[in-house]
Amino acid sequence: MSSTYNHTILQLDNVTFQYPSDKTFITHLTFSVGNGEFIGLLGANGSGKSTILKLASGIFKPSEGSVRLWGKPLHFYKNKDRAKLLCYLPQLLDINVPFTVREVVSMGLYPYDIHPEMSADEAIEIVGLKEKSGSYITNLSGGERRRTFIAMTLLQGAGLLLLDEPLANLDIKYQIEILRLLGELKEKKNISIIMALHDINIALQFEKVMLIKDGKILGAGNPGIVLTKDLLKEAFDVNIAVKKNDSGGAYISYGNNF
Amino acid sequence: MPKIKISIVILILVIIFLVSLCLGPRVINPLSLDDLEKEIMLSIRLPRFVVAVLMGMALGASGAVLQGILRNPLADPYILGISSGASLTAAFGLISGSYFLGKYTIPLTAFIGAAIVSMIVSAFGWKRGGLWPERLLLAGVGLSFLFQAVLMLLISTSTDEGMRRAVLWIFGDLSIADWSLIPYGFVLVILGLGISISRSKALNALILGDEFAHSLGFSVYKERVLLFLSVVLMTSASVSLGGIIGFIGLLMPHIVRFFIGSDNRFLIPASALCGGAFLCVADLIGKLIMPPAEIPSGIITAIIGSPYFLYLLRRKDVLNL
Repeated sequence: MSSTYNHTILQLDNVTFQYPSDKTFITHLTFSVGNGEFIGLLGANGSGKSTILKLASGIFKPSEGSVRLWGKPLHFYKNKDRAKLLCYLPQLLDINVPFTVREVVSMGLYPYDIHPEMSADEAIEIVGLKEKSGSYITNLSGGERRRTFIAMTLLQGAGLLLLDEPLANLDIKYQIEILRLLGELKEKKNISIIMALHDINIALQFEKVMLIKDGKILGAGNPGIVLTKDLLKEAFDVNIAVKKNDSGGAYISYGNNF
Repeated sequence: MPKIKISIVILILVIIFLVSLCLGPRVINPLSLDDLEKEIMLSIRLPRFVVAVLMGMALGASGAVLQGILRNPLADPYILGISSGASLTAAFGLISGSYFLGKYTIPLTAFIGAAIVSMIVSAFGWKRGGLWPERLLLAGVGLSFLFQAVLMLLISTSTDEGMRRAVLWIFGDLSIADWSLIPYGFVLVILGLGISISRSKALNALILGDEFAHSLGFSVYKERVLLFLSVVLMTSASVSLGGIIGFIGLLMPHIVRFFIGSDNRFLIPASALCGGAFLCVADLIGKLIMPPAEIPSGIITAIIGSPYFLYLLRRKDVLNL
């Protein structure tokens, strides 16, 4: 799976996880993320995408199995050291305190004593919020808020980004912009990214997807191979198929669903 | 920029310090003191000023910290029941007239009450190895109601003199201030302030959410326990120094936020300084407005502070309430 990459950055091995007072949700999950991989974690609502990302980031601790970052068990890392290597961006951005955009983005520097490369203003400019750097985050639209946190993530500068639905609430322009930006980062700095999403059309743009259902991996690999009609039916419980258009691009055919 | 503003507040505090030493029922020129005036300065005005500053600082800072850890703009140091528990034990000592520890009775009973209630509230707020903000908040509110009811019961069944003393104390009575209480109050407030300022980055991250705090390299449960401890230290010290003074803990952090923003690295020290300065002014006004009677500082802080806060609320659209 990661044979084309030099190093395995993240390795989940036989991970089992159970929510309190609930039945076991994830059983014996195994996968790895190589250096420079950009993986789309695709699945329906409640399929376990967020749980997998939280396990990978150390927010949840597996009841069995191990999560390793650069070969070392995740919980062996000091919090600050882990934060320099791994960054998790949650799906819910529910903030009621009037921080300014710049204040929020600057928090990306908290794991560091001195940050070598990017400044908060540069990160803000990259996500197109230069004009709003002094605005209160409570007054921003959902999409602007999300871009603010993506800027914070960029500033944090970790080599592994675990992004939970980072494209939700974004205009198509910024969806493309953020994907392009992350793609660039991957090329330039060889960072690895796992991004949870439930938009199959976006997943088709990835070089690798993992299709999730009930906390299990239905398939992993190139979307052209993984996203078959049968697997999509199993994952989303609807009859859809991936089609090719004349110029070779792939798109979702909704068939007779409407 | 916030550093400049904090320096301005320190300057204002120094001016207030000088004014409150000079003004009172008797106006004293600090440059030419006779023996009586020296006595008034050292035994009455100076300790009272120090107590007001310590209490105001404790309330302002712990309000800012609590609003952050509970992620609730309506939180104040009294919402967790710490102060009503302290009031109850202290009022019990006052009303029953059992001055078994001399002048230390009120502060000590108040502190014991605050410490016990903190433990009860944190026991209720504790689940799965950590403190949970919602549980803390609800436990605190529930316990507050219980303690207030018992306190009212005590007051309503006590003798007149006991009741008057209890009511005065509940509204914040700085007239009991003397040097004997200051050292331990100072240690607790400075310790609490030190912890909260040193954890201010973690508090910023916790306001974004536990998952952000984790991702930014903080141990969520450890940071929350430390911040809660700082609040307990400051609130207990404040209640035992001079009773309950409303407004400062709830609204001072909001007022300060209007001017210097929400970054807790600046908000906590600025709320502490402004809280200290404001309580000194309120105490001074309470002493001067109809001498020789004194109006409890808690009444003055609310009467001046609330309209000003409402004025700011109308003018500046940043409070996301």
